[in-house]
Amino acid sequence: MSRVMFMQIGGETNEFSWILNLAFFAFIIIMSLYGQRIQVWQMLKQIEAGLHELKTLSIKSREIAIETFKRYGRDENEIGEDLDRWMDFFTIMPVDLDPAGILKRLDHLLDERRDRFEEFVMDTAPDASHSDRQSLENTLEVTQVLNLIFRIVRHFYILGKKTNSTIVIMQVQMQLPEIMQLAKAYFDAIDAFSESKPIGDGIGPLIVTKLAREYGGTAENYIDEISREVGYYEVDVEGRTVYAVRATGPGGTVGKPGFAIKKLVEDKGKIARIITIDAALKLEGEDLGRVSEGTGAAIGDIGPEKHAIEDTATQNEIAMEAIVIKQNEAAAVGVMDKKILDSIPEVLQRIKTAIRKRTKSGDKVILAGIGNTIGIGL
Amino acid sequence: MNMGIISKIIGIALAGAGFFILYIGMTTGNDILMLFLGSVVMVMGFSLLTARSGKEPTIKPPPPTVTEIRCDSPECEFKEIRDFESGDYILKPLGTTCPKCQGSLTIQGVYVVREEPENKIEI
Repeated sequence: MSRVMFMQIGGETNEFSWILNLAFFAFIIIMSLYGQRIQVWQMLKQIEAGLHELKTLSIKSREIAIETFKRYGRDENEIGEDLDRWMDFFTIMPVDLDPAGILKRLDHLLDERRDRFEEFVMDTAPDASHSDRQSLENTLEVTQVLNLIFRIVRHFYILGKKTNSTIVIMQVQMQLPEIMQLAKAYFDAIDAFSESKPIGDGIGPLIVTKLAREYGGTAENYIDEISREVGYYEVDVEGRTVYAVRATGPGGTVGKPGFAIKKLVEDKGKIARIITIDAALKLEGEDLGRVSEGTGAAIGDIGPEKHAIEDTATQNEIAMEAIVIKQNEAAAVGVMDKKILDSIPEVLQRIKTAIRKRTKSGDKVILAGIGNTIGIGL
Repeated sequence: MNMGIISKIIGIALAGAGFFILYIGMTTGNDILMLFLGSVVMVMGFSLLTARSGKEPTIKPPPPTVTEIRCDSPECEFKEIRDFESGDYILKPLGTTCPKCQGSLTIQGVYVVREEPENKIEI
């Protein structure tokens, strides 16, 4: 009796009803027993699709890097072999169990890393000029980053598959959209670096140069190498002496602007104000190229440079001011966007206002443009 | 035959089977069980049909880079925009003279104009 009633659920019975009932119950049982496995399978498929794309980006960036290096005197196969060896190059962060002096140790390691990159580029592109070598270093770094992203995602994909661990697979799958966004941003950046085009991150040095030029700064009176790959223009802005600091372009370098500021404070005597100009990551919903200002040192290094500015400013009681130009990751590492370039007049106006309102005639001001100077002349 | 084609064939078969079950469900007095099963099978079929293969990633080419050249004379408003050429950089002085006032020319911008995303969320 109950069996007959069951088969009548939802309508009249017919000769197929028992098959459909069976299928329905089978579906419920399969879903409750294997639902999670099906979900994991689905997630693995999504990761696999992402991995294929990451692999393509990594291979294409390697090809572009080889094409770029090939212009400077060496054979394609030799470059390929050297590049593959270089893809695994790593930097071990200093021990932080004893944090005393960690920034000095970190700075030393970063210098060493930079030296090795320079050496590699010098060997792989012997005919390149100094400026070209700087841009080649950036190309190399982007290729390395894309390769690293691919290898890390592949590691977790295989690990998740091997151990059948839902938690590992879920974490990768959930982070995949962000990872893909980052990888695509870096892939777009390789076009900028291989062709030495200016990038969004270079807006700081560009603004500083524009201001210096407005007040008589030229490539000829630019004082070079106050610290590694950083120099400055000394200009008079409405009775104040402004030291306009930036990395030396048009090659791709950020230099060591923090230590340059520290040296200027030591060499030039009483400084009234340090103004830093940099690109900053925008929040979703904010306009690209939006200008914001605040207090502090606007510099996005991993520690030593920012520490040098803060330390010297605190010891000498120098006021710090920061103006940032908002952009997303893709715009910061990709070719300069028109909207970012259009922010220059507003930033120049804000710098002039800061100098006029918050310093007095005869004061000395340090204005530092922080960022990668690729494609930005002196 | 690769997995992509097989999954598409299975997708079509499942979508067809789902449609058939739905049809039977509707012709036999709107049998809820059959309607439900038909829908589930159809959804599974369409999911397989529309699933991305993952083996043919499409990489969108970046927008073209342009170079903006301006006359250095503050009175002259000459401006030229051309395609980026290798060796161009911002603030590069050009050897040529301004066709309007014979002043010197400098590259004042190297940039791209990115399209606004279609699905931009405005709040």
